[in-house]
Amino acid sequence: MTNDRFSRQSFLGEGAQEIIENSIIGICGHGGGGSHIVQQLAHVGFQHYRIYDGDIAEDSNLNRLVGATVDDCRRETRKTTIAERTIKDLQPDAKVKVFPCRWQDQPEPLRGCDLIFGCVDGFAERRELEACARRYLLPLVDIGMDVHCVENEPPRMAGQVILSVPGEPCMFCLGFLNEQVLAREGERYGDAGSRPQVVWPNGVLASTAVGIAVDLLTDWTRELRSVVYLEYDGNRNTIKPHVRLQYLPTSPCPHYPANQVGDPAFRTSMAAG
Amino acid sequence: MSVRCRVPEQLYRRVREDLARSHEFAAERVGFLSARLGNRVGDESLVLFSGYHAVPDDQYIDDPRSGARINATAIREAMQRVLDTGDGLFHVHHHAHAGRPGFGWMDRRETPRIVSSLQVAGPDQAHGMVLLSNDFCIAHIWLPRAQKPVVAQRVTVVGYPLQFFDAEGE
Repeated sequence: MTNDRFSRQSFLGEGAQEIIENSIIGICGHGGGGSHIVQQLAHVGFQHYRIYDGDIAEDSNLNRLVGATVDDCRRETRKTTIAERTIKDLQPDAKVKVFPCRWQDQPEPLRGCDLIFGCVDGFAERRELEACARRYLLPLVDIGMDVHCVENEPPRMAGQVILSVPGEPCMFCLGFLNEQVLAREGERYGDAGSRPQVVWPNGVLASTAVGIAVDLLTDWTRELRSVVYLEYDGNRNTIKPHVRLQYLPTSPCPHYPANQVGDPAFRTSMAAG
Repeated sequence: MSVRCRVPEQLYRRVREDLARSHEFAAERVGFLSARLGNRVGDESLVLFSGYHAVPDDQYIDDPRSGARINATAIREAMQRVLDTGDGLFHVHHHAHAGRPGFGWMDRRETPRIVSSLQVAGPDQAHGMVLLSNDFCIAHIWLPRAQKPVVAQRVTVVGYPLQFFDAEGE
């Protein structure tokens, strides 16, 4: 793209726009977080997208799904269609591949990406997505938020942005994932009810995630040199490095060993003659 | 069919550090990268590097006509590694200049012979050759049972930041 459309972001460095335009970005989940991310990526100038979401737009999404309209809900428009429309309105020549399904149902295109945004629900799905990202040597930027309601106290809004890079500490190493939270989530399975979600924390988290991704790709700050784990406090409107970063293990990540990459395979030994 | 390669930054650094070591008589060093295939089915194959194996000093042959020549033991050990692990192996060496490197005539003549041996040991794996310059990386890949190599469309060093090395014309 050789006009001055991106002149205001030329500080990203010589060659940065070319990197941005040539990078293939995967987005898992086009909900409250993913829709912000898609919109921002299109503004930044990304040209290659692979977007997964199996849902259609519903009235209950309109409080946060960027790009969705009342008409989309009436027509039961797929969220991936909304994503593609958002991108094409800004980048008409962009190559947008949409997958109206779970990413697990069609994982091959996701593995071919250069970077993934995880905008998925729940701990178990995060574990699955990170396992895929590690196996195929893909950086993953995960965002998520939740509102916890405790009787007689104001609701607590919290969230996170995590950059998980193969070879570096994973979400288990960071303490974000552990067997307890996965078990608790499993016990609640089928009893989730409607989870509180609003637009503004998704915007904060998505903007932060896009900033991290652009830095990872272009190195414009020359400061991003290690794992990112940011915690969001929606009551105080703060986002800051998580305290657990001070206690990172110094040994290599034991959860995803370096030799556990590529398509899983099973071999039998040849019978002796 | 496009093929992309990915290598973790820690591994990439280790390769560079090893290849930069001087040798008693060889002008340059060589090594082998372990690799596994991803997206084996489909038109976007991935070569994922997972380990590095330096060639011991005593497996070099003193040959002033070549930058580095390795003996039969080195090749045999590489083949055994393929048999033991089921991994593919990529011959890797370094040309000491900046910019996009290119395989020399001796690389093009000799390395495919090594690849042929590796294919015998592991016909269902991808093997090949990787060439580093001071600031670039290219790879030629023999996909399973392939007679000829394909050029990696992109080699990505996965770390902070990501580093991309695209094939010419990409």
